[in-house]
Amino acid sequence: VTYLRPALVGALVTAFAAPLAAAAQSVQSLEGPTKAVQVRVGAIIASNSGTWLDHRVAAMHPRFHTLFPYSSYRLIGEKRQWVPWGRQVRLNISNSRYVLVVPRELKNSRVSMRVQLMDDKRAIVDTILSLKDQGTFLVGGAPQPEGVLILSIGASTLP
Amino acid sequence: MNCREVSNLLPLFLDGELEPRQMRSVAMHSMRCPACELEVKEMERLQELVGSAVRQRVAEMDLSGVWSAVEQRIGDIRPSWVRRLRARWEELQADLDMRLPAFAAVAAVAALALAWYAQLPDVTQPIESRQIASHDPALEIQRLDTTSPSFSFFRDPESDTSVVWLNYEEGLALESQP
Repeated sequence: VTYLRPALVGALVTAFAAPLAAAAQSVQSLEGPTKAVQVRVGAIIASNSGTWLDHRVAAMHPRFHTLFPYSSYRLIGEKRQWVPWGRQVRLNISNSRYVLVVPRELKNSRVSMRVQLMDDKRAIVDTILSLKDQGTFLVGGAPQPEGVLILSIGASTLP
Repeated sequence: MNCREVSNLLPLFLDGELEPRQMRSVAMHSMRCPACELEVKEMERLQELVGSAVRQRVAEMDLSGVWSAVEQRIGDIRPSWVRRLRARWEELQADLDMRLPAFAAVAAVAALALAWYAQLPDVTQPIESRQIASHDPALEIQRLDTTSPSFSFFRDPESDTSVVWLNYEEGLALESQP
């Protein structure tokens, strides 16, 4: 037991440090829009099999179906999350594919962010951009088994 | 003590197995009694003869392999599985007492390193890096790395939406719009 004690303390510190840090960051994220940003990520599968427009996609973007040459649009995942600057938002698309969005700073009314579309640990898209506050942009074209992936990404510092 | 009693006790006397008081009595009597003294001397000589014969015989024997043979016999005796298990458990306990803190520290460091590594994107895969000179008021792209052969960038003014399209298939390439 004497030998075990330091090891147990070390293991407990290791086990609880990360959740405590995450909880502290989550509390910070609730403090207000100046310290946090709302990130919106949506994943849509577009294909030419059928003519189906997911009403959630239509609600997300009124002219979605006019921007791309596809007849069917299906929302497969969506996330809206307030996070502190520098903290990543992750949206899982499939078993191996996911999106990471890390808001970096607000400068000149633009939200600077890094967006990565990952396939396992390989980046299919890795981009750094500045988006107008409360704006939205789309990244599409990555092939999926059911069609083509289109990502809708937005950020807002206002509640 | 008379001669008869001494004669009966002489073998034990010569082997030193009498009590101190009897040893002293036999010795005193033998010194005063020539017959008993002679008997003591004869028995001593006989004992010496037997002893020398035994020592000579033992000296002629080859005992060099005795211990190795004994050790081999001991090794051949297989203890029961319960005893072996108990011995192994005691060894493990002793090892763990010494090494458990070190194992725990190494495991904690390895877990942290693994967690850190799992969050890292794989940057070993080469992907093409291109700078985009966009003049979109809503979206400014500083850097875009992608595995797609080419990409398009356009903006829909009606919905005020910027679009980056990755052209993985030539047939699906969208035309770039200013």
